[in-house]
Amino acid sequence: MTPLRILILEAQVPFVHGGAEILVRELASALEVHGHHAQVVSVPFTDSPKEEILAGAEAWRLLDVTCAGGGSIDLVIATKFPTYFARHPRKVLWLVHQHRAAYELAGTRFSDFSHTPRDIALRRRLIEADSRMLRECVGHFTIARTVSDRMLRYNGIASEALYNPPKLAGRLAAGPYGDYVLTVTRLEHVKRVDLAIDTFQKATSGMRLLIAGEGSIRHDLAEHIERLGLSDRVTLLGRVDDDRLVELYAGCRAVLFAPYQEDYGYVTLEAFLSRKPVITAHDSGGTLEFVVDDVNGYVCDPTPDALAMAVNRLSADAALAASLGERGHAVAANITWDNVVERLTEAGSRTHRVRPAQPCA
Amino acid sequence: MRIVVAEARAPFVRDGADLHAESLVAQLRLRGHDAESVTLPFNGRKNELLEQACAWRMLNLSTSNARPIDVLIATRFPTWFARHPRKVVWLIHQHRAAYELFGTPYSDFTDSESDIQLRERIAVLDSRMFAECERIVTNSRNTAKRIEHFNGVSARPVYHPPPLAGRLRDGGYGNYMLVVARLEPLKRIDLVIRAIARVASPVRLVIVGDGSLRTKLERETAALNLGHRVTFAGPLWGDPVADLYAGALGVIYAPFDEDYGYVTLEAFLAAKPVITTTDAGGPLEFVRDGDNGLVCEPEAASLAAAIDKLAADRALAERLGRAGRQVAGTITWDGVIEQLLG
Repeated sequence: MTPLRILILEAQVPFVHGGAEILVRELASALEVHGHHAQVVSVPFTDSPKEEILAGAEAWRLLDVTCAGGGSIDLVIATKFPTYFARHPRKVLWLVHQHRAAYELAGTRFSDFSHTPRDIALRRRLIEADSRMLRECVGHFTIARTVSDRMLRYNGIASEALYNPPKLAGRLAAGPYGDYVLTVTRLEHVKRVDLAIDTFQKATSGMRLLIAGEGSIRHDLAEHIERLGLSDRVTLLGRVDDDRLVELYAGCRAVLFAPYQEDYGYVTLEAFLSRKPVITAHDSGGTLEFVVDDVNGYVCDPTPDALAMAVNRLSADAALAASLGERGHAVAANITWDNVVERLTEAGSRTHRVRPAQPCA
Repeated sequence: MRIVVAEARAPFVRDGADLHAESLVAQLRLRGHDAESVTLPFNGRKNELLEQACAWRMLNLSTSNARPIDVLIATRFPTWFARHPRKVVWLIHQHRAAYELFGTPYSDFTDSESDIQLRERIAVLDSRMFAECERIVTNSRNTAKRIEHFNGVSARPVYHPPPLAGRLRDGGYGNYMLVVARLEPLKRIDLVIRAIARVASPVRLVIVGDGSLRTKLERETAALNLGHRVTFAGPLWGDPVADLYAGALGVIYAPFDEDYGYVTLEAFLAAKPVITTTDAGGPLEFVRDGDNGLVCEPEAASLAAAIDKLAADRALAERLGRAGRQVAGTITWDGVIEQLLG
């Protein structure tokens, strides 16, 4: 394919740094590896007061991104709300998420949208405008099936989930199937780390649980472990660096990851790339896109008893853990940046070539 | 304080103004502030200038993630269109083609009715935005003069050290003159190449930088049979550039009406004399003829004579360069941040 000049569109929340930022930068490097010229275009986004949300979307609409640096731009890749409001004839969507507070989170404690006429009207306008802008895109992809499901439900637009490998992909490898189960997570309620801890109260085997990650409820969890008398079997490691994390994955028997309604979840893929089985729950969301019960892990009821049974089974049989993990590896190894780059650029080239209204130079 | 530095950035292009904003963010962080840059893409196309200004106007940057942002520092057109209760401008430049470059070959504005209206509109809107700002300082006396002249705003220049400041050193006075510039018309590299053609002494020319004129300049060099004397080193950053500064006989910097120009100060920090022109703008705030450099007419013959003078007298090059280093040494980031945040 001839090299394309590509802009990746990013909504920046000043002073907040997260996964989407890494995703966008990794996409840019992957495009460069394929010989394309890619740059990230960021525009700050603010959602308070919520009346400013439409103004922020309008800012993107005002930007003509068909030209940059004296040449035409062949393709733009939109990621989050409101980046897909930008104008370009070859706009391909790789949706990280929409403005969730106006969608599925509305009415929950995670959203500032309530059931007042004003909020309802604003939500309706946002969703309508979104649908219109999203329809302009010449290809529709999302980072995960959950995100695709939402866009179909609220905007009536079908899309394909296009998975990307986790950041550690190139470094993960299997080691021995050791005597601990690993959990890698931020210590927040929605991740249900307490459920993992309770599981080890029920588990009969001598397996330990190591929990890597930091978060706002660390103190509560430490107390919880103490109270259950599990201090010798369950350890909060806090934040660990990448080298240590790779080691922890390499040496564990299995990974336990049972959050509530995760979007995507790199942990599953990181476990699989380390050839370890994943124990998860029916309501864990994103993990279920990859974990198949009894094939590459266990999908349990979200209860300590059910999860403990899975832990017991794997602790009794390291060979079983290895064979499940091996099948997990086959799933995760298929997820490559090559595929992401090919699908996104292909979708962009299905339409006619870009001809800016006026020459770029 | 939580501070955002607003930048207008052209994708696929890196220039002095990007470095300016990046350095400011880094320096604010060094002093304990929580600083970040925010950007919008800017492409400078005449028919979209107002849309791009309007896009900035749409942004209310008084909070981020429900926490207040204390100060917004705007840098160049159209960043001061952003909404914030406490805006400070550290002016790098306005949209020059609509202001002082109008009427020169460097502006795409004509004297058509619509272009005249657009220029007026930009000036009126700029002035209105400046009126919203808590304070306005500029990066040089040259930009201060322009904003006074066109928008009636009086602003003080606040000089800052160039990005290479920490890496520059003196490594003797070699056999080449150095040019560091984007290869764009305003930088007048063609003038320097024509000057080298007239230089009697066997001095070479090394040109660091890239840009839209590169092929054309290389062709001109070949046509003048200067292939053996002129080297296009391409786009370089950091230590390789510092090394070239260290070993040069002197630095030639002859842009047309430059705003500020890091090159002058970078040359001085490497104890190198600067050859510039009477119409170069910013460099003239620092270069004094016969004191720390040579100021010529913007003509090839005049520049050539200056180059020959340095080539014939390395002690002169050294004396001028050392005097330049004294000047550049007084410019610090502490001074800048004090002036900006008050």
